[in-house]
Order: sequence, then C-alpha cells, then structure tokens
Amino acid sequence: MKKTSVIILSGVVILFLVSWLVKGASLSGEENPYLQGFLTTFAAFLTLAVFSFLYRDNPFYKFAEHLFVGASAAYWMTLGFWQTLVKKLIPKLSDGLANFFEVPTEEHSYWYFLPVILGLLLLMRLSKKGGWLSRWPLAFIVGYTAGINFVGYLRSDFVKQVSSTFVPLLIDWQGVGHFFSNFSLAIDGQFVMMLANVVIFVGVLCGLVYFFFSKEHTGLFGTASRVGIWILMITFGASFGYTVMGRISLLVGRLTFLFKDWLGLIS
Amino acid sequence: MTYLLRVLLTLALLTGTAVFAQGEPPAVDTTLVDTTTVAPPAPVTGLTGKDRDNDHGHAIELTWTPSVDDLENPSGARSVLRYRIMMWKPTEAYRVDTLRQMYDMVRSNYAPIRVYKPLVDSALILIDQGMVDVSALPFEVLLPEGINRTDAPAEMMKYVRKALQDTLAAMTAQVDISKDSVKVFRSNFLAAVESLPEAFNANGPSSGHGAWDSVGAEVPGATFFRHAGSKEEVSPDFLPDYADLYYRVDAATSDPAVYTASDVCGPVQASGQWYNSGRTVVLISVIIFTILTVVFVQQARRGKELYVRPLAGIEAVDDAIGRATEMGKPILYVLGLGAASDIATIASFTILSRVAKRVAEYQTQLIVPTYDPIVMTVAQEVVKSSYLDAGRPDDYNEDIVYFVTQSQFAYVAAVNGVMLRQLPATNVYMGKFYAESLILAETGALAGSIQIAGTDEIAQIPFFVVACDYTLIGEELYAASAYLGGEPVLLGSLKAQDYAKALFVVCAVAGFLTLILADATGAHWLAQFKQWFMVAD
Amino acid sequence: MMFDSPMLLLLTAGSGATVGTYIGLAIIVLGLLALLYTSIKAIEVDRRIVFLFIFVAVSIPILFPITFEEKATPVVKRIFDKIESLPEGSRILLSFDFDPAMAPEVQPMADAVMRHALAKNHRVIFMSLWATGQGLLDRTMQRILPNEFPDKVDGVDFASVGYTAGNEGVLNVIVSDFKKMFPSDANSIPLDSLPVFNRFSSCKDLDLVVTFGGGKPGAKEWVLFVGDKANVPVAVGVAAVVAPQMYPYFPNQVLGIMGGIKGAAEYESELIKHYPQFAEQPTPGMVMMGPQTLAHIVIIAFIVFGNVAYFFGRRREEKP
Repeated sequence: MKKTSVIILSGVVILFLVSWLVKGASLSGEENPYLQGFLTTFAAFLTLAVFSFLYRDNPFYKFAEHLFVGASAAYWMTLGFWQTLVKKLIPKLSDGLANFFEVPTEEHSYWYFLPVILGLLLLMRLSKKGGWLSRWPLAFIVGYTAGINFVGYLRSDFVKQVSSTFVPLLIDWQGVGHFFSNFSLAIDGQFVMMLANVVIFVGVLCGLVYFFFSKEHTGLFGTASRVGIWILMITFGASFGYTVMGRISLLVGRLTFLFKDWLGLIS
Repeated sequence: MTYLLRVLLTLALLTGTAVFAQGEPPAVDTTLVDTTTVAPPAPVTGLTGKDRDNDHGHAIELTWTPSVDDLENPSGARSVLRYRIMMWKPTEAYRVDTLRQMYDMVRSNYAPIRVYKPLVDSALILIDQGMVDVSALPFEVLLPEGINRTDAPAEMMKYVRKALQDTLAAMTAQVDISKDSVKVFRSNFLAAVESLPEAFNANGPSSGHGAWDSVGAEVPGATFFRHAGSKEEVSPDFLPDYADLYYRVDAATSDPAVYTASDVCGPVQASGQWYNSGRTVVLISVIIFTILTVVFVQQARRGKELYVRPLAGIEAVDDAIGRATEMGKPILYVLGLGAASDIATIASFTILSRVAKRVAEYQTQLIVPTYDPIVMTVAQEVVKSSYLDAGRPDDYNEDIVYFVTQSQFAYVAAVNGVMLRQLPATNVYMGKFYAESLILAETGALAGSIQIAGTDEIAQIPFFVVACDYTLIGEELYAASAYLGGEPVLLGSLKAQDYAKALFVVCAVAGFLTLILADATGAHWLAQFKQWFMVAD
Repeated sequence: MMFDSPMLLLLTAGSGATVGTYIGLAIIVLGLLALLYTSIKAIEVDRRIVFLFIFVAVSIPILFPITFEEKATPVVKRIFDKIESLPEGSRILLSFDFDPAMAPEVQPMADAVMRHALAKNHRVIFMSLWATGQGLLDRTMQRILPNEFPDKVDGVDFASVGYTAGNEGVLNVIVSDFKKMFPSDANSIPLDSLPVFNRFSSCKDLDLVVTFGGGKPGAKEWVLFVGDKANVPVAVGVAAVVAPQMYPYFPNQVLGIMGGIKGAAEYESELIKHYPQFAEQPTPGMVMMGPQTLAHIVIIAFIVFGNVAYFFGRRREEKP
C-alpha cells in the first residue's frame, strides 16, 4: 500500500467514526440511536463512494459497487424463493410444508407439478450431459411469451395505433376568416391542435418510410425518409431532455439525503 | 400488525356478517298512488330487451322510449325524475340469495380461522408446557394497563392463556365452522343455483310466484340500460344464462309512491358468444401478418432474392475496417449486455461474422470482450468460422473473443480500459445496451475512434446517436443482420414487417382522407371507416 | 421564495432572495462566464468541472429552496380531472411498479395521486408488480394513511394486495380474475371478506388504473394487457426516461401521463389548488423543480458555450 492510500483510508475511517458518533448522539431520543446513526452514515458513505467515480475510478467506488452487486443478487434469490416457491407453489402441493413455512394452506392442485418439472429441467443447464433438456422449458417460455405478446402488441401497437393516426386535419373549422380572427398559440387553441395533428400524421408516415427496407430511398420516397429521420432525431432530442431531467431528479434525491438525513442541514 | 388485532378484526367482521345475514324479506310492490301531490306520469313505451352481443353472457340490454312526462321533454308534465329498472325474480331466486348469504358467512368466517386457529392452538400448547417468555410467541401480545412484561411472567402468562382461549371460543361459538360445513353449505348453494334457470322459466310474472326487484336506475332522458350481471355464482349480482327474464321500467316521480310501470318485456335470455365480433380486426391482422411472414420466409428458403436496401451504417463498417488496416490499429467489437437468445444479440452475431471475415482478409486485429459466457462461446464459434471462410484459419486465436465479467459497470470499466490503452481505430457496438451505452460511446469518442452502433433499446439510441458516427436505429439492426446474413427467417420476417408497415401507411392515409372528405362533403358515412379499427372489449 | 417563471429567477435573485441563493447564483454565473472565456480561448475544460457545476447548481436550491408556480398541462390534468369526476366510492387501483432507484422521480406522483383518490373518498386498491415496490408501497401507506386519513379503514376504504411474482403474467390473469392471483390481501385476509372487493371480480370492475413506474413490467404492460384488453382507463406516472415512449398511446390508449418530476410537480400543484388541506404536506415534486430548473439552465449554458467554442474553433482553423 502506498503512503497516500494509507492516509486517505485512515482519513475516511476517522470521518466515518466521527459521523457515526455525532449522528448517534443527535438521534438520542429515538430507539437504537447508534444503530440508526451507523446506518445513515453507512448509506452516506456509499453514496459518496459512488459519486467519487466522477473524479476517477477508485477502491471506494469498487467496494460500493461490489457490495451492491452482491447484496442485490442475494436479495433477488431470497425473494424468488419466498415469493415464488413458498408463496405460490408450496400451498398448492403440501399442507405440511405450508405449515412449516407458515403460509396459509390452499386447495391442492397437482397441475402445479408441471411447473416443478419444467423448473427442474431448466436447472439441467448446469449439467454438461443433460444440458439439452433445459431447452424444453425454454421453448415453453418463449412460445408462451410470443403468443401472448403477438396478439397484445398487434392490438395495441398496430390496430389501435392505426386508428390513432386517423386524426382530423381541421378542428372546429368555421372558415378562414374565423381561423385568423381567433388565432392563438394557446396549447389547446385551434391552431396548435391542428398543427399537432399534422405533425402526428406526417411524422408517423415519414417515420415508417424511413424504416421501409424493401425500396431504395430515392426521389419522393427519399425525401419522405429524410423527413422521417429528422422527426426521429427530434424525438431522440426530446428523449434526451427527459433523460437529463430524470438523472437530475435522482441526483436531487441523493443530495437531499446527504443534506437532510445525514448532515441535517435542511429540515 | 399484531395477530391479536387481526383476530379482533375478524371477530368484528364475524359479528357484522351475522347481523347482515338476517336478510331482508323480498319487497313486493304495491301500486299505491297518492294523487294529492303528483299526478302519475305517462308510462315508458316500446320497451325491448335483448342479449348483449360479444360477451361471456350474463348481461341483457334494454331500450325504450322515454315517458311523455320526462323531465327532459319540455312539452310534457316533466314529472319523471328517474327510471327504475325492475326485473322479475321468482321465489326460488330469493331462496338462492339467502343460501348465498349463509354460504358467504360461513366461508368468510372459516378463512381466518383456517389461518389463525393453528397458531392459537400451538401457542396454548407452549404455554401449557410452561413457557413464560411472551416474546417467544408467534405473535405480539398487547397487555392491558397494570400488567408488566417482566414483573410476574407466570401471572402474565395466565392472562395471555385466558385471552387466547376466549378468542378461540368466540371464533367458533357463532356457527359450527369446519372445513366440512363449508363444503355442505357450498354444495347446497350450488345445487340451488343449478335449478335457477328452470325456476325462472317456470315462474314468469303471470304466475305470481315471485316479486319485482330493482336492478338499477337511469336518469331522465335515458333510453338504454345494460343489466350486466356477474358470471360468478357467489356474487350477489349473479345473472343466470338461458333463463327467461322479464323486465319492466318504472317512470318514477319525486314522490316515491307515485310511479307508472311500463308493459312487461320478455322473456329474454342472456347467453355467451364463442366469437367476439368486436375483435375481428385483430384476428384479420393476425392472419394477414402470419401469412405474410410464412410466405416470405418460404420464399427466402427457396432461394428467392429478396431486396433489402443498403444501410449507411453497414457500409461504414467496411470503410472503417479499411481505415483500421491502414492505421495498423485494432477493431473493437462489443456485443452488448444481452443474452445469446436476444434478437439484438443474434443480429449482432451476424454482423460480427461479417466484420470478422473482413478483418481476417485484411489481417487486422480484432478484440471482442464479452459480458455473457454463452454469448462468448457463440461469438468464438462465429469468429472462428469467419476466419475459416476467409481462408485464414491459422490467424484465428482463442484470445480474440474473451469473457470479462457479468457485472454491468465492471464490464464497462474493462472495455473502457481497452479503448484507452489499445486505441482501436474503430469501435462497433451492436446488441442490447442499457445505462452503459453513453459511458462506452463517450470514452470511444474521447479516444478518437470511429464508432458504429446499433441497438433496439429505444431509450439508448439517443446516446449512441450523439456520440457515434453511425447508428443503426432499432429495426435497422435486424435489417442489417438480414442484409448481411441472408438468414431466411430473418429476411422473411423483415419483408413481412415491411409489408405490414405499407399496410399501416395505406390504412392511415385512407383514414385520414376519409376524415377530411367526411368533413368537407358532409358525407358522415365516410367517417365510419375509423370504426373498423375500433377494438371492442 | 416564489418565482413566476424560470427566466425571472436570474433577474430577481438579487432583490428578494435569501443571502444563500444570492451567493450561490453569483458563484454559478461567475463560473459560467469564466467557462465561456476558456471555451472561446479554446482551452480544454476538464469534464470534472462540468460535474462540479451541476453539483453546485443542484445543491444551492436544495439548501435554499426556490419554488416555481406550476400549471398542469393537459396530459397531467386529464388524470386529475378523471379522479375528480369519478363518483365517490369508485374503485381505483394504484400499482407501485418501481424500485428505490426510481423512487425520487416516481414517489411524489404516487403520494399525490394517493392523497387525491383518498380525499375524494374513492375505494383504493394498492398493488405492486415489482418485488421492490412492495416495501415502498408499505412505507408510503404507513407514512400517509395514519397521519392524514386516520378515519380510513383498511379493507373498507382501501386495501393493499402487495406484490406477487409473475410480472406481466399477473396482469394477464387479473384482467379476467383478480382473486386468482391475489386470493388474500397483504395481511393474509381473504379478499372475499373485505368490503373493498365486494362485487369485484376482475380489472374490468375498476374505474381507473394508475401505474407508477418506468421499467418492465410497468406502464406499457398495463396498457397492453389491461387497458386495451378490458377497456379500463389507464393513467401512467413514469420516470422521465420512458415518458417519450408513452406518448404514442396518448390520448386514446392512455388517459394521461405524468412524466418525471415535472409531471409530479404539476399534479401536486393541481392537488393543492383544489384541496388546500394538503398545502401543509410536503410537495417533493415542486421542491425538486427548483434544483431541476437551475441545473437545466446550467446545462443549456453548456450547450451554448460548446457551440460557441466550436464555431470559434472552426474560424480559427480557417484563418491561418
């Protein structure tokens, strides 16, 4: 270990201990103040450890990352066991086991042995010889998902979207004179609504043309395709903007935690 | 939540249901008319009823002409304030209601007992065996004022024991509740339900065996009511299928005693349909799309040339390999975080195969760090066979494709390291990408590599667009793979999708034009076109 | 302090602001000017400087709160109006399909909609398609129900069925038979004995579904497998990242969209406008719009500077 590493590490440890003690003392009215103090300090430490990656990769970040990966893997595994196996499967098969796990018993249904068998076959993946057996449950999963999604997507993303594209070009139309005399840029005004409908219609059409692979994009087709890519780019821009907003929100959430729950700077 | 509280809640519910189960006697209408306040209004006319189409049964639709004295009709007396929809219920149906209530009560009382009785039983055994630690019980015990947890454990246990016994006694005192009695009540009830259609058919209003029952109400001016019953026998709104139902609509006034009944309509029967015509358009779309896919896949299998337009991103790959050769720098190929079964990853394998072949021909260096062990195995096979195809099997070595880690950001860190240390001339990202997309593409851009990306993760495309030189957007990735690989299934489904898109465009334009024409010419039948695309529930 | 529009923020900061805001804004403005100078001079700016700016821009409004007046846009207002116009006692299902990572964005929406639905005396059913959502759901209920709605009774005015495994498969079942997937509520009490579920068999008996989330399964799955299938109005509150993907479904397949913290802030402002009793409660959405706005202004400034530097750089290349 280098000398600077030792200095940094001991500095962090001292800060951690100080924060723990101070936090614990400030929570003295509550139950287990020092445990609470430790948890808050540890959470703050992990937040800062992850933030430190912005400066550069370092052991603190790595520690936080590995802790997260390990804890979440364990969490999902336990959850899978209790929520799926214990809660959904065991009451359907055995009263004795249900009582052992303290879950309410249910009417037995031996159909549930089928998923048990499929689940065990899925585990055959771990064996070199019987690995091919895991393809059967996989085929079941793929087939089931494809079937359900096929109809669902066709209804929601095709048929219903077709009818959503049928938008009237003229809204509340009472002649050109009326249009200009009542012209407004309000979000629910006639002009904006009509413009929105035109954008929807042209956007859908040109976007589809861009993703049409059976014809070379030349001439009028090429123009429509270029409009299509412009519209896609505008959509990506909007998407980008939304993402920035989302990420800033997450940062605000973390900073609020640091300032409020840890440092107590704001109430 | 404490178990004891729940037990108390159960007790409260138990008493509640018992009171509720006393039942109300069937109300029999008397046509008492008090003429001193409001004159009886004119009746509803033309009442007709029919089964509701495209449903699972158990629903009847009624239509009628409002009374002349409807509030909404300015030329009448305007005394009708609402319409009461009445259905004839034979005496047997009221008996079924009572049986249902009894079964309901027994069942809902049994359910919590089934859960909590074993707990209480085992706790009693523990206490009898001399356990004095209250916190070892499988539930939390609320102690009354004055009794302390630590002062006299034995004394306190006595109290807990008595409380549990009392609770248990209260739970079972009201009715004999066991698994068997639930079964008995259930079978009695179901037998009665089974005979219900017969009872309805035999006892119409003319027989006098029964009474009119209100099933709903409508506002003035209404001409339509849907009596949607439940298909569940245990539901109080259960409406039997294939039973003769009779309806009547009362024109009601402000005085509850003053109303006029319409003529009785019926018998009508509710029934379910096998085919929901409201969803025909979905069926047609499924058929069309399936046919298109099958036909094009078959054509591709038979070797028919299916044209796919060249994609800028793919042509750029060839140029980029050339550039890398000139510069003497490697090419980095990233397959993303997808599993080997993801379509995006499969498409990526095809593109990798092409890239590897070119690399082998030009004798450039290729680096393929992978995230998933299975993806790694497949990628190794792909690259190996590409080198073989290019006639340079000796140049292939196992280290071209290697496994890094299955932790998202650790993988990214490793790949970023490769980018910054080996400074590849070209980075290709094809497959499934998540939050790491921008980190990868940004580092690559900083390192000055030419970057080509493609993913079907819509949320990540914007990041690739800003940071890469070429991006295959969504479906273009599949198209690229079909274009390069010529795999019949991919090519066929790509073609089928193209035709589906063309169909979409045609329908959308037709719908748009019909709406404009309907507006311009006043021919509103044109606007009906839109109705074809409406999916009913 | 209160501003009418973000642009006024910089103008009025000097007059009515607290000292902290004033100093903070001054730091940011001076920093940005310095950055503009370096960009024009074509001096490479370390990316960590950018992070530092964002950190300052976000921290200052958290430490010295700035709030803006929000006005609900039609996409958000439609959700509010729907809950407002449903008759009392209507059944509304709120699905918590998010995890702690998404919570800063989505939790404020969930709080606001939950308050609204309960204040309007609707019967509210809570559930979660995400295992991690159940914990958040429980905490939300514990935080809001006993304090703000002490007279609401579990099982009568609301009920939580919690989480069940199965992802979108769950939706496929509950659309036709709710009790098959959720035989009992989160406290293991059978649904049949709860008044909330009287005369309730499937999602078709719901008057409105509001899903809060941003991942899979989430908003899209609710639309595909419940909204469109059972013709139940579905409103969505989603993390900003997925909001653009929900717009194609608006307004025919999705009743309304709350996108990111802005959507939450709009809903909160509408709620306080109609129900002043909630003005005392925290409005994290509106509070978070302060840092949000300042950060956006800084980012816009970066984009402008980047382009200015780019054009200056090009001129410099052309000159020699």
